Amino acid sequence: MLDELSSIQSDALAAIESIDSESSLEEFRIHYLGKKGRLTATAAGMRDVAKEDKREIGQKLNEVRTTITGLIDTRTAQLDAQKDAKAVAGIDPTLPARSLPQGAGHPLSQMLNRAVDTLHQLGFAIAEGPEIEDEWHCFDALNTPEDHPARNEKDTFYFDSGKLLRTHTSTVQVRTMEGAKTLPVRIIAPGSAFRRDEIDATHSISFTQLEGLYVAEEVSLADLKGTLEYFFHSIFGKDTELRFRPHFFPFTEPSFEIDIKLHTAGKSARWIEIAGCGMVDPAVFEAIHSQRKDDLFSPDQVSGFAFGLGIDRLAMIQHGIPDLRLFSENDLRFLNQFA
Amino acid sequence: MKFSLNWLNDHLDLNDLSVTEIDDLLTFAGIEVEGIETRGAAIDHLVVAQVISSDKHPDADKLSVCQIDAGTDSPVQIVCGAKNYKVGDKIPLAQPGCELPGGFKIAPCKMRGIESHGMMCSASELGLADSSEGLMILDTDAAPGTPFADIVTPDTIFDVEITPNRPDLLSHLGLARELSALTGRKLKSDIAHYRSSDDNCQPAESSDIDIQAPETCPLYSGHFIRGIKVAPSPDWLKEKLEAVGLRPINNVVDITNYILHQTGQPLHAFDLAKLKGGIQIRYAKDGETITALDGESYPLNSSDLVIADSEQAHAIAGVIGGEDSGVTHSTTDILLEAAYFNPSKVRATARRFNLSTDSSYRFERGIDPLQTLGTSKLAVELILQLAGGTADPQTLISGQVPAAPADVPFEHNACHRLLGHNIGDDKIDSILTSLGLEPDGGDWKIPTWRLDLSRQVDLIEEVARVFGLDNIPARTVGSYAAASKEDNTYSANRNLRDQLVHQGFYEALSVKLIAESQLSDDPATAMKGGLVPMRIKNPISDDYVYLRPSVVPSLLSIAKHNVNHGSSALRLFELGTVFSATPKGQAIEQSSLGLLITGDREPTSWRKPQPETLDFHDLRSVIESLCPGQDIQIHPITPQPGCHLALAAQIRIGKSKAGICGQLTPARAREIGMETPVLVAEFSANTLNTARSTERRFAELPRYPASTRDIAMEAPADLPNSDIEAIFAKIDQKLLESYSLFDVFSDPSGEKLAADKKSLAYTITYRHPKRTLEQAEVEEAHQQILKTLSKNLPVVFR
Repeated sequence: MLDELSSIQSDALAAIESIDSESSLEEFRIHYLGKKGRLTATAAGMRDVAKEDKREIGQKLNEVRTTITGLIDTRTAQLDAQKDAKAVAGIDPTLPARSLPQGAGHPLSQMLNRAVDTLHQLGFAIAEGPEIEDEWHCFDALNTPEDHPARNEKDTFYFDSGKLLRTHTSTVQVRTMEGAKTLPVRIIAPGSAFRRDEIDATHSISFTQLEGLYVAEEVSLADLKGTLEYFFHSIFGKDTELRFRPHFFPFTEPSFEIDIKLHTAGKSARWIEIAGCGMVDPAVFEAIHSQRKDDLFSPDQVSGFAFGLGIDRLAMIQHGIPDLRLFSENDLRFLNQFA
Repeated sequence: MKFSLNWLNDHLDLNDLSVTEIDDLLTFAGIEVEGIETRGAAIDHLVVAQVISSDKHPDADKLSVCQIDAGTDSPVQIVCGAKNYKVGDKIPLAQPGCELPGGFKIAPCKMRGIESHGMMCSASELGLADSSEGLMILDTDAAPGTPFADIVTPDTIFDVEITPNRPDLLSHLGLARELSALTGRKLKSDIAHYRSSDDNCQPAESSDIDIQAPETCPLYSGHFIRGIKVAPSPDWLKEKLEAVGLRPINNVVDITNYILHQTGQPLHAFDLAKLKGGIQIRYAKDGETITALDGESYPLNSSDLVIADSEQAHAIAGVIGGEDSGVTHSTTDILLEAAYFNPSKVRATARRFNLSTDSSYRFERGIDPLQTLGTSKLAVELILQLAGGTADPQTLISGQVPAAPADVPFEHNACHRLLGHNIGDDKIDSILTSLGLEPDGGDWKIPTWRLDLSRQVDLIEEVARVFGLDNIPARTVGSYAAASKEDNTYSANRNLRDQLVHQGFYEALSVKLIAESQLSDDPATAMKGGLVPMRIKNPISDDYVYLRPSVVPSLLSIAKHNVNHGSSALRLFELGTVFSATPKGQAIEQSSLGLLITGDREPTSWRKPQPETLDFHDLRSVIESLCPGQDIQIHPITPQPGCHLALAAQIRIGKSKAGICGQLTPARAREIGMETPVLVAEFSANTLNTARSTERRFAELPRYPASTRDIAMEAPADLPNSDIEAIFAKIDQKLLESYSLFDVFSDPSGEKLAADKKSLAYTITYRHPKRTLEQAEVEEAHQQILKTLSKNLPVVFR
């Protein structure tokens, strides 16, 4: 019987070599370990073995079984590995990607979103107004003199009806205050404004503005400064240098222009104008007051600040875009750079 | 406006300040410095020289060998690389020993074997410009050899923007006065010298000066000077004018220009020989014209104020003098005018003629009325000094010096409150005083040159400006602001944009004005419509005449641009305002979403060397993706003639009309460079956003298996699928869960199926929410559906 077991082991060792598929491995298993397999049949002879030999033969039997089981396990693992390798054979992972659909938001939209997000953090809510406006909302209410050049047909687009395309989003200040039910008024108004300019690298007939207005019982220049410093530091980084330069606008007093210091590689740093702001001129409150039946905006009782940002300008600075016309051309090669 | 630092120095000692310091000083005073240039250069061994000859260098293509007259006995030989000069030109020559700004030292040398004894210079090499091309060609009478420093006195010129509220800064004296306040330095010049004293004045007879429009000309003065000699101005005067960009003309005219730039008071000199009778300040007669000093003829009307004699107008008041009575070389007797004209009339006239002169620029912003008579006296003295002659002892005046500005009440606390910072009452007082204001009880007296200070807030502005926002601490105290309706719209639009971008669309933003020819690209022209596009009254060019009634026209031109630049696939959208008017002219602004797709469905790649082409059904996929779970219907319409859609359909979401979609005619598609279908759609963004924001309710997930049956039916080729869907929608069968079209087959050859037929295959899904279905009940439901379809539609089941 020992001889028989030895020959089973050597046969199995020889046979496993030619096993190259799961099915022949299964046949191999049945041939040796199946119910009617050689080892099973031989093991059945144990009951006839003399008592003193049982120990030795039993050990041999276990040894052969372990060997054969081991052979099967090893070969199974090898066959699995072969199958896995075959499944990915021929795939060159270095081939170029099959592209997913890729689009891009317009850089002006992206900049506007950032600006709006930042001002939302500061507790400003969005307000809107029409782009086709009347002279009252665009000029009169904003303390613009009757014969101010901006009212000229040379500078502003008009309709036969006498209406015009708003030259700034400051119109929304007026509309918001006309309709406000309570104080404070704390709004931002993103939107288009139009000027009758010749189009070139730095001039366009329309641009995207963001207007801000905060009116309450006691709003001060310190508030204005705090808000705009926070804003520009959020957009351009904490280390950005800002300066508030006195300026003149009819609808604010005092008025300032804000410059940021622009560092461009290879050029000396320079200040560039980025926004206009100021404390709402009492004449504007007076105009609102005269339209309303209450004293909510009585110039004696409220103060406020207003600011206007050019989103186009912010985006140009942020991304180093040299020419305004790129924004309205919508060349995909341009848009793709901001995907 | 240009300011000369030398000229400012006449009034105020600024010598110890660097150009950058003065730049900052002006900037923080609210005076924007737009440019700084340098004139002249005090450099040793730099002389005026003249080119005698110029020949090509024998061994260098880019060099020339020049003989130069530098005032020495024999010509100097210079090798030069510039090309912009010609023989006879005068140029700056740096001689050996000269050290140029930047430290470059000139010494004799050999260039490609030819000796060169100096360097001909460009403006940038002399530090007079940031950059320059070629040599600096000198326009000078100076003889060769004259030191360069002698022809132009070194000076720094500030080109600044004066805001419209500060006409008092439109002169060297005015700016010096401001700098004096900001720096605490004393003015050298005595302001009183320029300011009114009527001691030398005599009221004019109306036969001499007759103001017929006192509301527009409250004060007019004239001074007669006879026997003068008109000649070129002396160098010091020419230099002052040239420094600020004026061309010297003759001594009399130059003096009036000098006084204007010195004090801000415009003056005018008439040739007395050309005046007939006394001066009248009157409105022009309709039809009257004047030929002005610029040689142009201006048609006047009764709103224009003129200075006239008994026969004709000799000047448009405050704007420009007449050609006839201008001072020329033959003039011997003059009348010198110094007057005060009200800003608005001058502004209206100047604007109507589109004419801005140094004079009108100042009058229309407002001059200091107290200076008018004093400056007249100053000018008379200068004319006598430079042109000789005899002046009348007194200035004739008519009218009154306009009243000084009213005192302004002021509360220190109001100032502290608006600044948000208590800067101290003393600080406020000292700032206001430095600007020439005087305390007067609780009020402040305003200097006559500060026409812009009439309210408390104007004074607070002065304090804020001088104190500087830098010195006020920032405060960030937010207050709660409830989200507005517009906040919700903004975020809905943002989601819409983001979704499209993630689906591979590019966002376009275009100018909202379009050309008339683009109007027919509006897909709404496919339908009979009641709204009309809005035309600009004063368009700037033919490209921007109408407010866009749709965003699609712009998308088409953007598509064309990109196709021209090599794009073979486009997915574009724009979300923005569109405009139209009712037939009665009421403007309507709406938010609109436009889509355009065309070209390859996916980029060409090794996987797909020949991608399929986008078609209408791709557009429909996009449309449906924007409103998942909503009832979106496409209702085909017959496009109106003249519209560029070959295929058009209305988009409805539930019962709302949401927009329009379609496919361009091949002819229009070809115009933008596409041979494949160009698909467009346009939505009302509000309708879309309303549908997108429908609140979602949870529905129990199905627990029991569904059962499906396929049907194939033969239908007329032109039967719209929507007819079939309409019948499905009407079927009242509780077990019917859904249906979906999975195959459409037609055979134009007629071999497998009649050419006028098509075969449609649907999968129909049945399910019971509470239990597993029995075969028999599925069969019963299915038969009911087949029956309903065949009863209501011209279909046969196969």
